[in-house]
Amino acid sequence: MSEIILEAQNLRKEFGGLIAVDDVTLRVTRGSTHSIIGPNGAGKTTLFNLLTGKYSPTRGTVLFKGQDVTHAPVHRRPHMGMGRSFQITNIFPNLTVLENVRLAAQALSSDSFRFLRRAESFTNYVDRARAALALVGLESMAETPALVLPHGGKRKLELAILLAAEPELMLLDEPTAGMASEQVPELMRTIETIRQQGNKTIVLVEHNMNVVMNISDRITVMHIGRVLAEGTPAEISHNNSVQSVYLGELYDLPRAEN
Amino acid sequence: MKQLRSNWLYSLILVFLIAFPFIVGALTESSPTGVPRGDRMIMRGESVRWQAVLIEVFILSILAMSYNLMFGFTGVISFGHALFFGSAGYIIGLALEYTALDTGAALILGSLAAFVICGGVGLMIGFVSLRLRGVYFTIFTLAVAEMFYIFFSRFALTKAEDGFAVTELPVWLDPSQSRLTFYYIVLALFVLTFLFIRRLVNSPTGAVFKAIRENEDRALAIGYNTLRFKLMAIVIAGMLAALAGILQVLLNKKIGPEMLSVGYTIDPLLNTIIGGIGTFAGPVIGTAGLHLLDTFFRDATLVIGGSTIQVANVWGLVLGLIFILVVIVFPQGVVGTWQSWRLKRQIRHLESRMAVEPSPAPESG
Ligand SMILES: Nc1ncnc2c1ncn2[C@@H]1O[C@H](COP(=O)(O)OP(=O)(O)O)[C@@H](O)[C@H]1O
Ligand SMILES: [Mg+2]
Repeated sequence: MSEIILEAQNLRKEFGGLIAVDDVTLRVTRGSTHSIIGPNGAGKTTLFNLLTGKYSPTRGTVLFKGQDVTHAPVHRRPHMGMGRSFQITNIFPNLTVLENVRLAAQALSSDSFRFLRRAESFTNYVDRARAALALVGLESMAETPALVLPHGGKRKLELAILLAAEPELMLLDEPTAGMASEQVPELMRTIETIRQQGNKTIVLVEHNMNVVMNISDRITVMHIGRVLAEGTPAEISHNNSVQSVYLGELYDLPRAEN
Repeated sequence: MKQLRSNWLYSLILVFLIAFPFIVGALTESSPTGVPRGDRMIMRGESVRWQAVLIEVFILSILAMSYNLMFGFTGVISFGHALFFGSAGYIIGLALEYTALDTGAALILGSLAAFVICGGVGLMIGFVSLRLRGVYFTIFTLAVAEMFYIFFSRFALTKAEDGFAVTELPVWLDPSQSRLTFYYIVLALFVLTFLFIRRLVNSPTGAVFKAIRENEDRALAIGYNTLRFKLMAIVIAGMLAALAGILQVLLNKKIGPEMLSVGYTIDPLLNTIIGGIGTFAGPVIGTAGLHLLDTFFRDATLVIGGSTIQVANVWGLVLGLIFILVVIVFPQGVVGTWQSWRLKRQIRHLESRMAVEPSPAPESG
């Protein structure tokens, strides 16, 4: 029952002299929510970039559903069922909110090479896009250009783009980064609902400890590129080295990113 | 709704362009078909003169629209567009010169070959260089185009500086005998190009083009092999530029290295910027504006104070000033600035509505 959907073996990434990710091994069980926490600069985003093919690791292997995807190009991965969202909002600014999401719905089909019919006439992608927008509560903004959305709206759009592709595995890099704190629980509830209903697997980077402790099946703690600890939320919250490195010192510092 | 309204406007303009030779003919009491002399028609009179001007506008507009497909809709900035335009010309020249076919057959063969070869050249250049991003790609395309220019202007097979002359066009196609027919042929191809590009850009493929322009990394991340789509854009743009090149050869009845010169890259670039990058009508409006100015003011003389100035001598300066002025007044081109002004009005409207209702995004579970 505990199939491993994503596995990283001894991943390492060097930027010049800097080792951003150092010998990281990770196993994510299908259907679970697996959080990765750690202070800024711990290497979480870099790890995501290795898992999703944006960077090539200096060493190590990435397996997705048992297949070696270490060097599979970025654009192949959504077709295999892997999707990601970005810590720094990464949208199509001058296209409408709906079009941003519709593009993601269309991406996995060969219809993208049909160039003599209007895009809107492929109603299944429009429908899927609208459904994804409804899930995150953006449907009333569908016709707005994405760049005029407020920051929180952009974060929701970021998530909707991911949802529209209906990936089996969703890698979420700080989905609530920079959002007003009263909006955070709601978005996290949405994510949790999606996971349960769609039987999805989630790998989550998140700073909000309450959220992480509530939502996660397992937690991996990173520190200076290495895995410091791994376990259930209860195990992690009682782990001394985790507390000294992360929970105690850095958690309350204002976030520098984004 | 918006599309319907602009379709209305476009239809009106089209009717005007169809009637244009006759309108000018009626206003100036000249014949739209020229003046008969013996069994030939001589292209004399205001109507045929104006037809020639508009034919050039249509051809250069096709070139600008093809450039805009890459530049404005896909975000691929090439400085080598003249390569397609000029190569098409040379392929026709070679077909006329070196095949034993009669002119009509050689033209058809040459045109088909021009489409295929220009598409192929686009594919090759794209394949080699599209992995380069941004300015490196741009410089590569400039280098390739200039290489062709130098090569063709020295090479004996292509008659070096002289190029080819096209003699004995079929009478019905010859712009110096049946200009009115040629006017309608070019008008039809211009309209078809416009409609084709609009359809393409509004298709699923065009949606990906725009996604690449907006944010190529994100397009990759959601699963698009962006290289393939950029190649498609280059190949299609190359073939449309070839169409412009073919028509230019028929109009001028000569082919020379100037067709490969960087001018035929810069013109569509400037015309697109002035009219509006990434808009449908922009390249056409930019081309028409600049070309009409060029045609009617280049030969003018200005008298300022006591001195006479030949506009032709300072034409570059005039053009530069116009360009600066347009870019200041219309920072996104004529059509682009108009559109963004309307968009801003819409957004203001939306925001004032949002200010009234406190919750703009009703949540639905
Ligand atoms: N593209 C890059 N080039 C050089 N250094 C990088 C790059 N990306 C990340 N780093 C460095 O790697 C370290 C880890 O960064 P990151 O993965 O963004 O951390 P986190 O997401 O945990 O905050 C940081 O020191 C950062 O400066
Ligand atoms: Mg990060």
